[in-house]
Parts: sequence; structure tokens; C-alpha cells
Amino acid sequence: MNKKIKTLYIIWYREVLIYLRNTVKFFTSIFLPILILVFFGTGLKTMFPISILGYDFVQFFFPGVLGLSISIMAISSTMSIVWDREFGFLKEILVSPISRSYIILGKILGATTTALIQGILILSIIPYLGINLNAFLFMKAMLVIFLISYGMAALGIFLASRLKKMESFSIVSQIIIAPMAFLSGAFFPLSNAPSWMIKIANYNPLSYGIDALRWVILSGSLEKSEILTITSHPLLLCITVFLVFNFLITFFSIRIFNKSIY
Amino acid sequence: MCSLSEKAEQIKENQNNILEVIQVENLKKRYKNINALDGVSFSVKRGEIFGLLGPNGAGKTTIINILCTLSQSSSGVAYVNGYNVYSQSSSARKSIGLVFQETILDNHLTAEENLYLHAMLYGVPLKEYMRRKRELLKLCELWDKRKMKVETFSGGMKRRLELARALIHWPQILFLDEPTIGLDPQTRKKIWDYIFTLRKKGNVTIFLTTQYLSEAENCDRIAILDHGVVVAIDNPENLKKMIGEDIIFFKTENNQLAEAEFHKKFPKYPIKLIGKELRVKVSNGDKFLPILVKSISPHIVSMELRRPTLEDVFLEITGRKIRENNNGIEEEIEEKFDLSSLFSFFSSSKKNNE
Repeated sequence: MNKKIKTLYIIWYREVLIYLRNTVKFFTSIFLPILILVFFGTGLKTMFPISILGYDFVQFFFPGVLGLSISIMAISSTMSIVWDREFGFLKEILVSPISRSYIILGKILGATTTALIQGILILSIIPYLGINLNAFLFMKAMLVIFLISYGMAALGIFLASRLKKMESFSIVSQIIIAPMAFLSGAFFPLSNAPSWMIKIANYNPLSYGIDALRWVILSGSLEKSEILTITSHPLLLCITVFLVFNFLITFFSIRIFNKSIY
Repeated sequence: MCSLSEKAEQIKENQNNILEVIQVENLKKRYKNINALDGVSFSVKRGEIFGLLGPNGAGKTTIINILCTLSQSSSGVAYVNGYNVYSQSSSARKSIGLVFQETILDNHLTAEENLYLHAMLYGVPLKEYMRRKRELLKLCELWDKRKMKVETFSGGMKRRLELARALIHWPQILFLDEPTIGLDPQTRKKIWDYIFTLRKKGNVTIFLTTQYLSEAENCDRIAILDHGVVVAIDNPENLKKMIGEDIIFFKTENNQLAEAEFHKKFPKYPIKLIGKELRVKVSNGDKFLPILVKSISPHIVSMELRRPTLEDVFLEITGRKIRENNNGIEEEIEEKFDLSSLFSFFSSSKKNNE
């Protein structure tokens, strides 16, 4: 058991090391969500003043942007597996005496960690946005962020495990990320959307993730009835859906990777 | 519990004493239309340098990939260090070190980090790793550069680092797939010096593929591979003997007399006067030279021993004739139009770039 954890650790360690080494990627990954929050959020806020909505627009917007940026981070971090395959490093890992399932788990956890780091950094600007977040809520929020990042990282690995070129990965991930983002409720509350849209969104795991983030992050600032108007699922359902999704997607990515070539 | 681990230790000990570290029997590998390997059998003894020689596309890398469990053969069996490469792949992988044809290093990381990751993947204890790292980096003359990022390294340095990396977990067998390809002569020589040092130091078996015939001479035994079949397997000396005898050219002050004397003393070797030189064909030229000097009375002006090279062997065995007969195989087979090719847009666009 100890040995298996060590294996996981070493794959994870490499992922994180590469992420931290790449300072450009590190900073741009935080820069964009903060830009969106500060400029886009403030701009939209003037269109939807508190008097109409009953809550601050940024309060609505923040969990969505947070959820989206960690998802994108988690998925794009799994590009490393395509990178490794294109430049041959995957062979070096595959001929070592560790099982493929642990390679996959290590990669997923590595990508999850990069998303978690980003999550912490984005959460750290929360005092400037007028959202109350105590230490307990922060921990709860981190747990939800972990769930989302893990699921998205596993999804990324699932998509990446058969691809041989980096370009194809960016195309495939765009195709997956764009509809997931638009149907996640990050930009507008899905509760007021037309029913056909809600039907599709109900199959989008990210919509549950962002609802969960709203429930947790806003619970210190808004009344429960107010949060209810901007979410479409109860918190417990969101967590359950994400747990099931994470479990299934891990299973499938291990399966697909076990069959893949180097 | 104790006896169990002792037993495991004993099994390990037994594995490490197996005389034939690689055994391959009737290995076949079939890709879509081509038989990459068509029944390959050979075995490699512990401690030897075994070379796999063959033209491009003969199946050398396919064999290495099968032996290091990266791909599976269509039929046949292969044992590495006594472990079956399919059913005991994890144990087999533990006993091998590998240097790939292409350079595979993590460019973002330093030399040391590359070694560290590898050592941890193979479960080398930390203490052992520190000692081994020092020893290997010094051997490969990279100790001073261990904190530098790999992307700043030259081709030769990268190769040396890969060699160090492949050795850090004490492999029983070291696989080198074209270890010196694309390197300048000095670096090539250095790599070979390391290989010889390695063999002297421990009982590492070295299995390498090469296209350079001059390098193949350094091996203890060579298998020549062509069209997925082993066409010859022996040590370089014997392979060269297969093709024929050594040739001695010599010049004396009185060639006629020398020729007559030679005829009398060695009637079974043919001698011929070519221009101002005499040509003799013998089987063991190096041993025959001193005898020849003693047995001829005219003063010898010059002497040259020419031996058949592996180049001659290679041409003789895998030469044009074989190719011409097999023209049919090399014909391209047109692919039928297939809907799935539309979807392969994402996955196999690599072909266009190569």
C-alpha cells in the first residue's frame, strides 16, 4: 500500500513540478479569471443593479467564474499526457514497473492540484468583492473545488488518453469545454432559462458543480431563499451527482488508458 | 512471514543467476499488412554485449518494444531475466533499463530531477539513489551540470544523461536502441567507452541495436535481422569467417622466387602475382603472417593483411539479391475509402507531418 502511494506521489510530483516551473502559464491562468471578475463583472453589474436583482451581481458571478476557471485549468493540465505521448516521455513512464491505473490516478491528482492552487488564489480576492467567507466556509468551498477539479481533470484524461497530438487536444477540449461552460449557469441563472435548455443543462455535470459552489460560497452573505433563486439544484444533489460523475469518469479513463498504446 | 520473504529473496537470487537473460522463441508480430517479425528466435547470455544489426525497418525496434513490454507480439514467447514479458511484465520491467532511439527526457526539469523521478518510479530507496546518482553522473561526466535544465544540454549530454538514468535502478539488462545515432564521432566513442566500463564493472547484459557496422564489431555476439527474420547469429569473427578468408598482399625483392618458394611450402593456399604484389588467400591471416615471414627467403619490402569487414558480411547476407526477390512485399497496398478515416482527423494527423 505504502508503495502504491509512493507511485501516485511521484507521478503527481512531476505534474505539479512542471506546472510550477512554467511561470508564464502559472500567472496567465490566474490573470484571466481575475480580469473577467473585475472588468466584466463590474461592467455587467451596472446593467443589473441590486435594486432589480435583490443581490449583488458580483455575488452571483463570482462562483461561476471560479468554477469555470478551475475546470478549464484542470482540463488543460491534462494536456501533459498528450505532450508526454507526442515527445515520447510517456514511454519512459510506461516501461517502468508501475501499473497504468496509478499513472492515470497520479495524473488526475496532479491536474486537480493545479486547479486547487488556482482555486485558492481566486478565493483569496473574495474579501474585495463583498462576499463573507469564514474559515469554515473556505474549507467547505475547497472541498467543492476539489470535487469539481477532480471530475474535470478525469474528464480531460479521458479525452486525452487516445490523442497523439497537442493540437487535437486543444480542439477536442474546446468542443467539450464551450457547451459545458455556456450551459453551466455561470453567466446567467439557469432557473429562468427555457425548459429545453434546462433539460440539456441537467446532463451537464458542471451546472451541478457551479450550483454547489454558489450554495457554499454565498451561504455567508445571502439568505437561503435568495440563493434558491439563482441555483437550480439543492446542494446535496449537486454533491451526489459530482461524486458519481467522478467515480464513473475515473473508471472509464483508467479503462480507456489501459487499452491505449504508448 | 519471515520464511516467505526469505523464499522471495531466494527466487530473486535465482532469477539473478539465470544464464540466458533474454530468451526469444518464434516471435511474430503482424501489423495491418506487414509481418514486422516473422518468427524470430535467439537468446542472450548474461554479461555479454549483444548487438542486433539490420537495415531500417528490419524490426529491431519492434523486438525491443516487445522485450520491454511496450507492445505485444502476435505469437511466440519472450523471457527477460527469466520473466515472461506478458504474464510477469512488471517483474520483467523492473530488471531492465532502457535508452530509446529518440531522446526522451523531461526538458523542463534539471538533470538531477530527471534521475530522481526515474529512481522513484522504479522504487529505488532514497539513500541508494543519492549514492548511485553521484556515481553515475560522475561516470557520465555530468556531475557539474546536474542542476541545469535538460533543455540547455547538447545531444551528446542528453544521451549520456539517458544512459545514467537507465542505469540508476541497477538493471540486469540494459537495452540501447540505436544509442549513438545522430552523434559526432567523439561522443560516439565516449558512449562506447561507458558501455565497456559498465560491462567491466558489473554483470550488466547489454542489448543494443545499431546500423553502424563499425560499432557492431564491438559486440560479443551479433544477430543480423532482415525483413523480420534473423538471418545470421554469431560473434563478429565467425560471421566474417563465414564470408571467406583473409587476404595477404606482400611485396618482395624477388617476387618470382618468393612465389615458387611459397608454392612448395604451402601448396594448399592459392598465390597469385598481381602487378608488383603477391596475393595470398588464407583462413587465419593474423596467425599466418609470422609463418609467412619466416618461410620466404627473399627480403620482404611491404606486407598488408586485409580482412573481410562486417560490411561485406552484411552485404552478402542482406544484400540486394534478397531484396529484389521480395519486391512484392514492398508494393504499397492502396487503402480503400473508409468512413472512419474522416474521424481519424483528430488522432492520426501525425502521419502527414512525418
